[in-house]
Amino acid sequence: MELRPERAEEARGGERISLLLRLRAQMKQQLLEYKSMIDANEEKTPEQDMQEKQMETKIESLENEIEDVKTAFDIKNLVLSRMQLSSALKNNLENTATESSELMDDLNDILKLNKLIMTSQQESRELEKKLLDVRKKRLQLKQASGRKLLEIQTEKNKQKEELDSVENSDKIKTMQHNLQMEMQTTTVVQHVFQNLILGSKVNWAEDPALKETVLQLEKIVTMI
Amino acid sequence: MSVLRPMDKLPDLNKATVLLVSTEDALLQQLADSMLKEDCASELRVHLTKSLPLPSSVARPRIDLIVFVITLHSSFQNVEESLHHVDSNFFLGKVCFLVTGAGRDSHCSVHRNTVAKLAHTYRSPLLFCDLEVESFRATVAQRLVRMLQICAGHVPGVSGLNLLSLMRSPSPPPEEL
Repeated sequence: MELRPERAEEARGGERISLLLRLRAQMKQQLLEYKSMIDANEEKTPEQDMQEKQMETKIESLENEIEDVKTAFDIKNLVLSRMQLSSALKNNLENTATESSELMDDLNDILKLNKLIMTSQQESRELEKKLLDVRKKRLQLKQASGRKLLEIQTEKNKQKEELDSVENSDKIKTMQHNLQMEMQTTTVVQHVFQNLILGSKVNWAEDPALKETVLQLEKIVTMI
Repeated sequence: MSVLRPMDKLPDLNKATVLLVSTEDALLQQLADSMLKEDCASELRVHLTKSLPLPSSVARPRIDLIVFVITLHSSFQNVEESLHHVDSNFFLGKVCFLVTGAGRDSHCSVHRNTVAKLAHTYRSPLLFCDLEVESFRATVAQRLVRMLQICAGHVPGVSGLNLLSLMRSPSPPPEEL
């Protein structure tokens, strides 16, 4: 019967504290709002006549800035509270020695997991590096093969050009012309010898040397 | 005192006041009841009115949030006239439009696009709800209570303007055919 009013008083005290803390937070926030209104009213409106679209884009960029600053601030707050928590934990552990085994277990688990995370991150980084190297090599090989093919192409084109030029040069033309002239004279001489031997009415089949000559004359000279 | 200004009075400790404006009293009463039933750390005060300007004879606390409840089968003019009596500083996150009665399509005299355009012109959030159904009303009451807390400055780190930028709709409503 005596403990209950004490507990009730404690609860009420606790409630009062939480109410006061809440009121404090509220007043801070409301003060911030009033201050920002005052600052906003002090700012002069821009002199130029900005178009609505420009104003909208400007508003958007300003909002993005605000969001970035807010997230940075929140992250910093998180880091700060984390640091505070870890230092409070450290103090607590120093004071209570190793009685709180649960806490020690949790801390050990955290350490193990962190190590695991670090090693797996390291592995993934190495794998990514290897992948990058392989890709670089592939790119180099591709480029080299491209160059080689280009060289082959240019060589082929050169050869073709040379062949064409050689075929169409004048020297060849005169040589061909001379060849033809020579062939014509040889045929004429052959016919002359043939008619000489036939006209002399000699039996050329009997003499083997004469036979050979006549047969040779039969060979028509053609283009090589 | 014909124009409502957001910051001309000091706030009361731990109290938040919302003003519901609509021509339909029954709906407003129901909505007010649902809002008061919500579990909230700060004390809520709900004021109901048919239109602005408010009579200046009554002493009233600082108003943190104005909700214009628009029913799609009644006229629109009332809302537009009331909007003239609201200071422009209110539209930085302390005004909200709530549309109801979209379920009864045959009675709609105001098109959905008109309301969307109104909300876009005044850069305020637009909520849709069927206030006749109990569960939907409870949900929207919860949302409004949360918005009210933020607009009254009871939530550290978030202000009405922040909430506005978070609730912004991505694109303006399509043009009427």
